[in-house]
Amino acid sequence: MSLFKTLKKGAVNAASSYKLILFIWCTTLVITLAVAYPLKTSFNMIFGNSMAIGRLSDGFDIGIAGDIGRPFGALIASVSAASLLLGTVGFFIMTFYAGGLFRRFTLAWGRLRVSDFLRASAGNFIPFLKIALLMMLIIGAYTFALIGLPVIINMAISGSQMPTGKIMYLFFALWALGLPVWLFVSDASRRWIAATGSKKVFRALGAGFRALRERFWLSYLTVLAVLVINAMFIALLLWFAASAIPDRGIMVFLFFVAIQSLFIIRLFMKAWRYAAVCESVQ
Amino acid sequence: MGLFNKRTVMRRYFSVFFCLLPFAAGGQVVVDKPLSARLTGYDINVVLDPEEHTLSGQMTAFWVNHSSAPVSEAMMHMYLNAFSSNKSTFNAKGRWSAAGDNGWGWVKVNSVDDGNGNNLLDSLRYVSPDDGNINDRTVMRVGLPGAVEPGDTLTLNIGFVSKLPSPIVRTGYVDDFHFVAQWFPKFGVYETAGMRQRETDGWNCHQFHPNSEFYSNHSVYNVSVTLPTDFVTGSGGMLIEEIDLGEGLKKVVWRAEDIVDFAWTAWPGYKVLTRKWNNVDVTLLTSAAGLKKADNQFKAVMYALDYLGEKVGPYPWPHLTFVDPPVSGAGAGGMEYTTLFTSMGGGVVPSFLKMAEMVTIHEFGHAYFMGILASNEFEEPWVDEGINSYWEQRIVDHYYGDGYGLLNLPFLKMSDADQGRLSYITSPGHNIATNDLPSWMYPHNTYSTMSYSKAATWLHTLEGIIGTKTMDNVFREYYRRWAFRHPSGKDFIAVVDDVVRREHGNKYGENMNWFFDQVLYGSGICDYRLTGITSNKIRSYSGVVEGDSVTYTRSDRSSDTLYLSRVSIERLGEVKLPVDVLIRFDNGDEILEKWDGIAGYRDFEYTGTGKVIWAKIDPYDKIDMDVNRINNSYTLEQNFTATRRMMNKFVLLMQMMISIFTL
Repeated sequence: MSLFKTLKKGAVNAASSYKLILFIWCTTLVITLAVAYPLKTSFNMIFGNSMAIGRLSDGFDIGIAGDIGRPFGALIASVSAASLLLGTVGFFIMTFYAGGLFRRFTLAWGRLRVSDFLRASAGNFIPFLKIALLMMLIIGAYTFALIGLPVIINMAISGSQMPTGKIMYLFFALWALGLPVWLFVSDASRRWIAATGSKKVFRALGAGFRALRERFWLSYLTVLAVLVINAMFIALLLWFAASAIPDRGIMVFLFFVAIQSLFIIRLFMKAWRYAAVCESVQ
Repeated sequence: MGLFNKRTVMRRYFSVFFCLLPFAAGGQVVVDKPLSARLTGYDINVVLDPEEHTLSGQMTAFWVNHSSAPVSEAMMHMYLNAFSSNKSTFNAKGRWSAAGDNGWGWVKVNSVDDGNGNNLLDSLRYVSPDDGNINDRTVMRVGLPGAVEPGDTLTLNIGFVSKLPSPIVRTGYVDDFHFVAQWFPKFGVYETAGMRQRETDGWNCHQFHPNSEFYSNHSVYNVSVTLPTDFVTGSGGMLIEEIDLGEGLKKVVWRAEDIVDFAWTAWPGYKVLTRKWNNVDVTLLTSAAGLKKADNQFKAVMYALDYLGEKVGPYPWPHLTFVDPPVSGAGAGGMEYTTLFTSMGGGVVPSFLKMAEMVTIHEFGHAYFMGILASNEFEEPWVDEGINSYWEQRIVDHYYGDGYGLLNLPFLKMSDADQGRLSYITSPGHNIATNDLPSWMYPHNTYSTMSYSKAATWLHTLEGIIGTKTMDNVFREYYRRWAFRHPSGKDFIAVVDDVVRREHGNKYGENMNWFFDQVLYGSGICDYRLTGITSNKIRSYSGVVEGDSVTYTRSDRSSDTLYLSRVSIERLGEVKLPVDVLIRFDNGDEILEKWDGIAGYRDFEYTGTGKVIWAKIDPYDKIDMDVNRINNSYTLEQNFTATRRMMNKFVLLMQMMISIFTL
């Protein structure tokens, strides 16, 4: 199968799973709102009837922190703790849903009801969690080898100087080019578990590496292409979200709709990677 | 002035002239004419041993007795001795510890004579005028065989060895990086009665403290350093010549005029860049990593040169050197030696954060506030650091980030002035001490809060009250009166009084003591609060008058409904400053009220067709001293759009975090 066909079929499969993607989106929205809403209420209570709230209108003016006083420290601590908690819970939830999505993309008839999706997610959760943790460990070591070590060596050679630009750009480029390999192995391993129903993690990883070796360029380029498009999309999304400053109620609502729509597309693009890898292996 | 005084003054001038001859043998080398009285001067010739990190050599120093009484002793800084033990005043609180046995720093005098064959070595004594610490050897008393008569000159020939400390704190070495400051015996300042409100003549020579080290005469320096040829050097002087001595050695000769301290640096790794600003050669010594930020650093210096040159007074020297030390030598960063200063972090700080530029501008600013206007940093640190921080904040916020000088990202912003104010208002000790203590007397670690942040904050407040134009004129006058002299805080206040009176008459009273007594000599805080606003409809007359029932019909009333509106404000803090209050009505009318801020509260009442919808104390943010601006305003039409938008962005950020950091 050609690269283009793989990507196209992957995209069609991901798009046809829109209900599942919307379900995942709903979950992320609910858990983040559970943190964000009390935070917003806290801010509103702090400002009360004060017009100083205007200092948040063009980005967060750190100068206001002193005026807020001690509650600001408490707010920052809450935000930090909430972010950590959200990150952890989010990791488990996304790993959980990946089980259902991979199941969906390995089915020949291409349909999966939400209840089946949840059942498949639950069934695949433990092996998927193990694969996720193992692959994150591998990617962490890979990152340390290609970025951490050069930084340390560079600092040692140059007398504690921070590394200069060009060489680090080179190492970063090498790191980015190698990343699709690990992501492919991770996805292909999970696809193997979803397709076979086996819980054997190391056999799954072996299958992932085998799939990579058998069709290296198709596998590699599939993930690389999806990753590049994802990265550009994420950069655009974050730029838009950071720089947009809607200043009226309805505009703020439309802004919310816009960024959430874009986030749904981001979820779709992640599912696209899963689906494309599944296609490339079949 | 009487005849006797005239004679004394004339004799003094002649004496100074003749004494300066040997030092000025080459004529004016750096500046066209002397900028200061040049009561002290130094000819120093040393050799740097880069293995032992020592400097050994000879110096000839002179001091002119400009008082009207004989002086029988001299006092000298021996500041490297702050690093000679863990019991020095500098180190007593565990501020620094030597890196191994070779990490200690010291300065030793091997020989000293007065040029007339009198050996003074036995007359040397260490004294501790500030805290009586017998283990502190940072101030040396030189007993003289005979008194130095008024107008006469004391010359001392001193043989000395200085050992640099490691790790670096302001001065010292790390590997082959050397930053050499406070390294030679240096005269204190002999103050005459009346100078800086002093009652009697005497030496002002403080010990080396963790937070202060500058108070010296403007001097002439001829400095020669012999060192290996692979070392790249820079200093606060003008490079006169660099002589190749063979055998891998060279001699570097510098001359500096009218500066209060001489520091230099040597490191084989330096990259040297030079740019021109008007007639000033600006030289940057940086590491390879710092090269990419060199343009930013130069730009920052030139912004400061432009701004201070226009608003305060001219930068008078034709040379300026600044150093962005390598990470290993970061301890030397953020220091000032008038025509030499050090920045920090040029190579490692991300470019959107203007921290390196802020440090560069701050340290350059000391060329004015401490260098040209040579106040006493030990006794009145706010005159040095506070005023300098104020100007640094003005410059950074003027040139960078549309008012958000330190950080101006779409979602995160911070002005440099707010950074200073934040540091003041969030400090738990911001109201426990006054702002005029000596540097080593601040309680509860409040030195930097008070000397830098509080002083800068009340200077912004002063600017808000008297206006930016008047404030600029205050500093122009301060420079005109006190350049190359030793002003005190009271001298600065006298300038403020004079300029404010000249430009505003008695608008602010006979003088500005009411302001300085509170913010400088007082420890109170400033906080005004807008308690609330109410608007009640004035009801038509209805009731019983002298037994008769009286009721007006609708037609008796005015066609417009009248409201009685009230705006209530309170003073919560001890500091009483005049404030503006801006009041807005729903019919579009606005009223700007002025309140002297003295009473504990004030109600503003209005009767009219409009209802008050919001009111703001200090609407133009003039009173930076106010520790809580959130309670300065009150609106009946609160708009939470900003927090809603912020939360929308937070939600997306969290969702992205979840989706990106899971496989």
